[in-house]
Amino acid sequence: MSKKKIATVWLGGCSGCHMSLLDIDERILDVAKLADIVKCPIVDGKELPEVDIVLVEGSVTSDEHLREILHIRKQTKALVALGDCAVTSNITGMRNYFPLKDVFETAYVNAVSNDKEGSVPDHPELLKLRDKVVPLQEVVKVDFVIPGCPPDADTIFYVLFEFLNDRVPNLSDVKKLRYG
Amino acid sequence: MAKISVNIDEKNLEVEVGKTILEVCRENGIEILTMCHLKGISDVGACRLCLVEIEGVNKLLSACTTKIAANMIIRTKTEKIKRYQRITSELFFAERNHVCSVCVANGKCDLQKLGYKTEMDHIRYPYLFPECEVDTSHPWYVLDHNRCIMCTRCVRVCAEVEGAHNWNVMNRGNKVRIISDFNTPWGESETCTSCGKCVHACPTGAIWPKAIVQGQLEKKPEMITELIEKRKMNL
Repeated sequence: MSKKKIATVWLGGCSGCHMSLLDIDERILDVAKLADIVKCPIVDGKELPEVDIVLVEGSVTSDEHLREILHIRKQTKALVALGDCAVTSNITGMRNYFPLKDVFETAYVNAVSNDKEGSVPDHPELLKLRDKVVPLQEVVKVDFVIPGCPPDADTIFYVLFEFLNDRVPNLSDVKKLRYG
Repeated sequence: MAKISVNIDEKNLEVEVGKTILEVCRENGIEILTMCHLKGISDVGACRLCLVEIEGVNKLLSACTTKIAANMIIRTKTEKIKRYQRITSELFFAERNHVCSVCVANGKCDLQKLGYKTEMDHIRYPYLFPECEVDTSHPWYVLDHNRCIMCTRCVRVCAEVEGAHNWNVMNRGNKVRIISDFNTPWGESETCTSCGKCVHACPTGAIWPKAIVQGQLEKKPEMITELIEKRKMNL
């Protein structure tokens, strides 16, 4: 059996889910026996190659994230939403209650840490924030979700290991469903 | 008390008349999901989680507000009911801003537990993201409308047990809100006795004491049931 290819992607999140992924510790060797990790946030900026499974952390907050998640969907057989931000938009979605203009001004103009007047950055190279933050399933088809903020390392390993052994995980059956 | 026979989930039972389907189920170890029910205070059938199928009735009825009757054939765990329960829990989450990771009730919340029980791993409906107020005017407690599911347990416990009737309900549809007195800040209430019963009755992190930090909230709704039962004994 040829090795599977897996990748992990970091969209609008705090990278806590990736930290939790690293917490699977030496079990990463079990993963490495069955799969090659071909892309993760610490490799260079090449586009995602064709893979079997991709774990996506974070929600869709900008035009760049939207372009990326649409590309990921084309490149992968299974798309796994990793963590509450990807599944429910979580903390990143808390700006959705306010107009985007107010959010920018709170962060850059009226921030307590500003000593003089601040201004909203608008360089063309910068990504453009969307009006509303949305979870992955609102823009692409998601094959599996792992909620949790962050999900337990055990839960992440369980899901990865099941997929790598061609089984479909079920979080409710193994009592690993958790939010927050 | 006169006894009648009923059939719940293919089990024949002899039960006392005058009880609700929910009471009978709980007494006989049949699990029914609820959010708005609190033993001792009146039932209103607000949360729609305790819906059951009754043979010969062409719609689902809430177990907490339907009295048991002779020869009823009731089913509580059909695929249809499970599907409805999952939809209901998803709608709770989609309607307001339930961000578990920043909530005082995280890990000890009835709404989270409900999600796990209905195997809700994600929400299939678009989030409404309404702008909700957080009332911090009371010296000890906070009312966060973001986390309220409109079970109205606070309203009923305040009116029926404390007798203060500080809480009430305003508006309809998704604009519906819990209000203090005539929609004035809780801290300015003339009726609130600051007894804290609503804090314990609330199944989520919508009402909580200020002395509590994230994930540390401990609620004791059973204390209210106990209080009501003890009062009855004294009479």
